[in-house]
Amino acid sequence: MAENMLCVKNIKKSFGGVHALKGVDLTIKKGETHCLAGENGCGKSTIIKVISGFYQPDEGTIEIDGKSYENLTTSDAIAAGIQVIYQDFSIFPNLTVMENLAFNQVLAEKKKFVNKKEFRKIAEEAVKKINFDVDLDARVESLPVADKQLIAISRALLHNAKLIIMDEPTTALTRKEVTRLFDIIAELKKEGMTVLFVSHKLDEVFEISDSITVLRSGENVHSCPIHEMTEEKFTYYMTGRNFDAIPQKEVPDFEGKEPMLKVQDLSAPGFENVSFELHGGEVLGIAGQLGSGRTELSLALYGMLKPYGGTIWIDGSEVKLNSVADAQKMGIALVPEDRLTEGLFLPQPIYKNIAVASMDSLAGKGGFLKESSELELSQGWVEDIGVATKDHTLPVMTLSGGNQQKVVLARCLATNPKVLILNGPTVGVDIGAKYDIHQLLRSLAGQGMAILVVSDDVAEVAALCDRAIIMKGGRVAGELDGADLNDENLYGATV
Amino acid sequence: MNKKVKSMVKQTEFYVLCIIIAFAVIIQIRSGQFLTSNNLMDLVRSMIVPGIYAICALLSFVSTGADVSFPLIAALSAYVSVVLGNKWNLGVVPIFLIAILLGCLIGCINGFFIVKYRFNSLIVTLGTSSICSGILFGTFEAGRTELPEKLYTVSKVNIATVKNSATGLGSALPSTFVIMVALYVIAYLVLNYTMIGRSVYALGGDEVSAQRAGIAVEKVRFGVFVVNGGIAAIAGLCYAMMSYFYMPNEYAGAEMLVIAAVILGGTRMTGGVGTLRGCLLGTFLLTMVSNSLILFGISVYWEKVVIGAIIIVGTAISAIQARNAGNPFAGKKKKEA
Repeated sequence: MAENMLCVKNIKKSFGGVHALKGVDLTIKKGETHCLAGENGCGKSTIIKVISGFYQPDEGTIEIDGKSYENLTTSDAIAAGIQVIYQDFSIFPNLTVMENLAFNQVLAEKKKFVNKKEFRKIAEEAVKKINFDVDLDARVESLPVADKQLIAISRALLHNAKLIIMDEPTTALTRKEVTRLFDIIAELKKEGMTVLFVSHKLDEVFEISDSITVLRSGENVHSCPIHEMTEEKFTYYMTGRNFDAIPQKEVPDFEGKEPMLKVQDLSAPGFENVSFELHGGEVLGIAGQLGSGRTELSLALYGMLKPYGGTIWIDGSEVKLNSVADAQKMGIALVPEDRLTEGLFLPQPIYKNIAVASMDSLAGKGGFLKESSELELSQGWVEDIGVATKDHTLPVMTLSGGNQQKVVLARCLATNPKVLILNGPTVGVDIGAKYDIHQLLRSLAGQGMAILVVSDDVAEVAALCDRAIIMKGGRVAGELDGADLNDENLYGATV
Repeated sequence: MNKKVKSMVKQTEFYVLCIIIAFAVIIQIRSGQFLTSNNLMDLVRSMIVPGIYAICALLSFVSTGADVSFPLIAALSAYVSVVLGNKWNLGVVPIFLIAILLGCLIGCINGFFIVKYRFNSLIVTLGTSSICSGILFGTFEAGRTELPEKLYTVSKVNIATVKNSATGLGSALPSTFVIMVALYVIAYLVLNYTMIGRSVYALGGDEVSAQRAGIAVEKVRFGVFVVNGGIAAIAGLCYAMMSYFYMPNEYAGAEMLVIAAVILGGTRMTGGVGTLRGCLLGTFLLTMVSNSLILFGISVYWEKVVIGAIIIVGTAISAIQARNAGNPFAGKKKKEA
């Protein structure tokens, strides 16, 4: 009986000239929940693919359950009890739950014909393992994300799994669903299952794992039991940088000053009777969970959702925001919730993405756009904000999540807004870039910009904002500021 | 049971059936000629060839790769087999085998470019269509051709004949009907009860997942185009048998109506979803409309307007349904393997 479920040593792997893994070690004890942490592009996905036999490493040894493998193939890995639950769950949305659960197993047994009874038996066995209550005949596409994940988990358990690898399993889940997932992981652990949990979210890592390995740019940085890890160390190992905590500012006194944005009893589909004031130089948070109306509020303030009641004042004068153009004219800019589908033109060059909102001011005589002025504008912002790229004529796709977000920010800032609304400013952004973005927002507020941060990430709101309004079920449920504005209070208020 | 009824009502096929019934009632009331034995028989007769083509369209859409080459594969392989059949005085079975073989070969060309070079299937099949047409009319200078004797004899065999006592009009169900039924039965069994068949659906649902599950994605996709070639060739010969002559000019252009019928029957152009039942219903509906508008005394030109309108409304219904199903993969960015 080997003590270690998995022991890989000195794994190297390059693609073309890029060294994705530069000698990674990873040891997972039997029955533990091990966390693999690291920022985007650190080699997490590559090492998972090596362990699951998808990639052959250039160098290094792989030992699973005490047995060494020379050329590990995907079927070897499955036979050895390794199951990967991918971020997209690897399911077939068009097939029924039953087929999704049984398909891989029947296929692996190299059967040629479909026996519906056998399919159902396998499926029933699978859902029983985690007491998952689901209609086996439902089409998977009609189910919520959390259920899709449970399908992937119960399917993985079918194959006599000994080590389950979960690749960032919590990305698309609500807080409640995450709790349910963690309960299931705890249950599996009781039964002796080894779990490799891939994540870069601090709180989750501390909550679920027994030990942790941190990777950075293809190298091991640190491995230790979880109780030896602290938040500061974790951040340092992940990024290789030390961060000063953003100082909590005293609540500034805006008494007697005209607010930059004032909203009175605003109602639109999704929220009702929202009132608040936002001054120049202030960072105000709107905290709320999915469905609390926070996103709708941000859309209404940007002219994308028509309010049916209430009043909006900008800089003291009442305005009607019937379109995005109206909002832009008033000096409002929005960083949308999903930069990939709502914000960026991914295949287009970085500079065009930055310049696109400033086209009117860049256009020369006769309304023709000069490429040189686009380039000039973009170059300035790329330098100011610190977008990490060699060349801003490359497509935005080539950037990491954090740098893409900086591009969206640069575009908004290039229009010289008075009010900057950010919906989920650091979703899918790694810690280093998140820190940069927070610093930038603080300094913009310092220069007098009014900033509205809309988010469900309570830690972010607590760290970044001077004051926060809590939204729940489409209404304002409270307000926090000063020392009261912390993770715990916010979390308690939003749930 | 209640659950079954509910899920049935949600399916596109159900709406198509409703539209068919509504049309039938209207035509019956207006002309009194719909529910006559000869009209119904004529309808079934007219949908044999488009019905077979519909299997090709279904397979290609479900596995995510539009195929528009089937009418010209049909034309070319039918021509070659008819000519060879005349020359060597072949029997029915060898003639069909030659056609199927040639159809599969052209299908291989489609599959090769689509799978190996990952070219867009619409473009590739448009290309092969054009090449087939060029060979047929340019190289072979194909014209109206008599059928080989043995094939002609079989094509004269009817499995049923009816006569409308009121009008004196008669109609017959040709032997090719058996071929269509056989193809549908085989396709049904393969698509629903074999792992290959389910793999076609799985591949259409999510290609990356299919690959990870261990499906030979490239082989399945290649296979679909080869099989499509074979089925198209069979349809080509059926068409010649039903007109008692091989007529090369009659083939081109059939793809649009067939594709419309298949989409109308609930097949998603984005892949993974579609049933043979839907194909039959969609084909029946469009055949019915094009046949029966004459009974109203509506001109042939208006017939096209009506068909166009049905296609738009019908596809809109299935598109809305697909959207409501909340398909998270629709139009999503490509995933890494």
